[in-house]
Amino acid sequence: MSESAYFKCLRCAHEYVGEYTPKAVEEKTCPKCGSNSVRRLKSPPAEKAAG
Amino acid sequence: MMDVGRHPRIKLLTNSEVENVTGFVGNFQVSVRKKTRYIDEDACTACSECEVVCPVVVPDEYQEGFSSRKAIYIPFPQAVPSSYVLDMDNCLGTNPIACGKCADACDKDCIDYDMEDEHFDLEVGTITLATGMQPYDPTEMDEYGYTRFENVITSMEFERLICAGGPVEGHFVRPTDRKTPKSVAFIQCVGSRSVNRGVPYCSNICCMNTVKDTLLLQDHYPDLQSKVFYMDIRSFGKGFEDLYRRSKEVGVQYIRGLPGNIEEDPVTQNLYLTAENTLTGKVTTHEVDMVVLAVGLVPRQDSELIRQMLTLSPTSDGFVMEAHPKLKPVDAPTRGVYFAGCVEAPKDIKDSVTQASAAVARANILLNAGEVKIEAITSVIHEEECNYCGRCVRVCPFHAITPANKKAGLYPKVVEAACSGCGTCAAECTTDCISMRHFEDAQYYAQVDAILAEDPMEKIVAFACNWCSYAGGDNAGTSRLQYPHNVRLVRTMCSGRVDEDFIMHAFRKGAPLVLVSGCHFSDCHYIDAVTWTQQRIEKTWDKLEKMGIRPERLQLEWISAAEGQKFARVMRELEELRRRVTKEEVDNTMRILSNGFKTATKKAATKRVAAVIS
Repeated sequence: MSESAYFKCLRCAHEYVGEYTPKAVEEKTCPKCGSNSVRRLKSPPAEKAAG
Repeated sequence: MMDVGRHPRIKLLTNSEVENVTGFVGNFQVSVRKKTRYIDEDACTACSECEVVCPVVVPDEYQEGFSSRKAIYIPFPQAVPSSYVLDMDNCLGTNPIACGKCADACDKDCIDYDMEDEHFDLEVGTITLATGMQPYDPTEMDEYGYTRFENVITSMEFERLICAGGPVEGHFVRPTDRKTPKSVAFIQCVGSRSVNRGVPYCSNICCMNTVKDTLLLQDHYPDLQSKVFYMDIRSFGKGFEDLYRRSKEVGVQYIRGLPGNIEEDPVTQNLYLTAENTLTGKVTTHEVDMVVLAVGLVPRQDSELIRQMLTLSPTSDGFVMEAHPKLKPVDAPTRGVYFAGCVEAPKDIKDSVTQASAAVARANILLNAGEVKIEAITSVIHEEECNYCGRCVRVCPFHAITPANKKAGLYPKVVEAACSGCGTCAAECTTDCISMRHFEDAQYYAQVDAILAEDPMEKIVAFACNWCSYAGGDNAGTSRLQYPHNVRLVRTMCSGRVDEDFIMHAFRKGAPLVLVSGCHFSDCHYIDAVTWTQQRIEKTWDKLEKMGIRPERLQLEWISAAEGQKFARVMRELEELRRRVTKEEVDNTMRILSNGFKTATKKAATKRVAAVIS
């Protein structure tokens, strides 16, 4: 069963929510820059302060 | 099939299943379960007395359900051996005997209700996999009304109806009124070339199969009107374009555009297809008596088990992957295993026969040689440092390492004939007790040291797998693509060989940026070794972060041999990243990692290589 997870691209720093299937090792690709250096974040990314 | 059954040196095991495969090239042990027929196949003369008296009638799968068979039956006319089989799922019951008419009718007493499955082992040198494919089930494409409208059939069902040995003896009729239709529409690419439903690939055979079917229809019924709705007609291959042209010459109408909807007239059961002809831009409705859906081909669902037994990797389409698409198209990555037919990809009869001949020839080369030449690049387990953790056994994509048994004092052992030299075991070993011949740890450390000996801040250390990423770099070079000159490639046979220690060593020596690059998952030369690379890199990112080192400085990229453009682009992007790494950051990293991180490991590996050299 897949679940939603937070991901961060270590190339372009893009953070996004994507599908994640525990125990399934899948090729990850950043939807913004196409890089494979995508890291699953164990917690939601911190909110950026406005202004 | 008959020739194979009669051949003195071929043992044909029908109605049998492979339950397990162990061993390696030249020494495979195959466990087989031969399912019982409940009939003595040597004594049975196929006289059909049993079938005549059997009271059970069920749909005949071979005839696509257009006719019926009995519970005791011969699966299809050309079946080898030509012997009856008792379908126990539909038989009225044998324990206690509920009917027993077939046994009473059999003069030769061939029927034995107590017969059981046989289990036996075979020792073979090579294995050829020819598990075939299955047609796509178009039920989910509701707009075509398959199963809702009786006169919408698939191309497989058409084959049975038009076949002289079929349920209507080749007199083509439509299912609702058993009359010969006056018009038939063929819809191409049903389930094929669709990203959302069905499969994304072209199924290869459907276009020419439809062209052949239209010619058959015109030949049998010259007044019948055939219409073919298509995206493209792919008539490549010897004589295929001629067939296509002939089909048009005999009056078959080809309409470029797929129907969006099919409706049925409730009275006449005629079908109305609405489609846009993309050549004229006009939307028109066509009334026909029957519709044939040219369904695509999909991998067999039950081939997954045999794929796992033989440690084969699937392609993204679900078929099996060959060792090399151009140079070893019938070889599996597991040595001694070959492919024939649609197990590898959808293909027609001619290509299947060609591939089967090639597979047999490849197998014969091995068998006639009587010995196997293996790669010199294999892993070696240094038992004195092994702690029996068994990780190497789990990660080996080729099952080439025999399990350890601590109680019995048995260390894991590498079966060199099965090892392909990916090096994943060496990278994953928790005690660094595994080394790779020709790709020793010390060699990597020496390469990294040499790269970073001068101006380390200017360098990018890139570990690239031999088959894809490194070849992608070659592709970029031969294509004269520009990429930063300060990228230094370290070749590994597989990205699975890239030990976390190599990465840390590069950072310790002052590398601002490290790249680990390998094949796309579907291209991995070593089945699934690349998945271990990804997992290891993800762990290394976590570790770097805990140590206070930015994980961004370790990059991961999957680049195929054909992606020279991507290789050059990635290198340019990495150069941008490298420029953002400061001298202070690198100095801090070197300080963190100099505090005893795994130096003992490096010393042990170096010592081992020195001993080998001396």
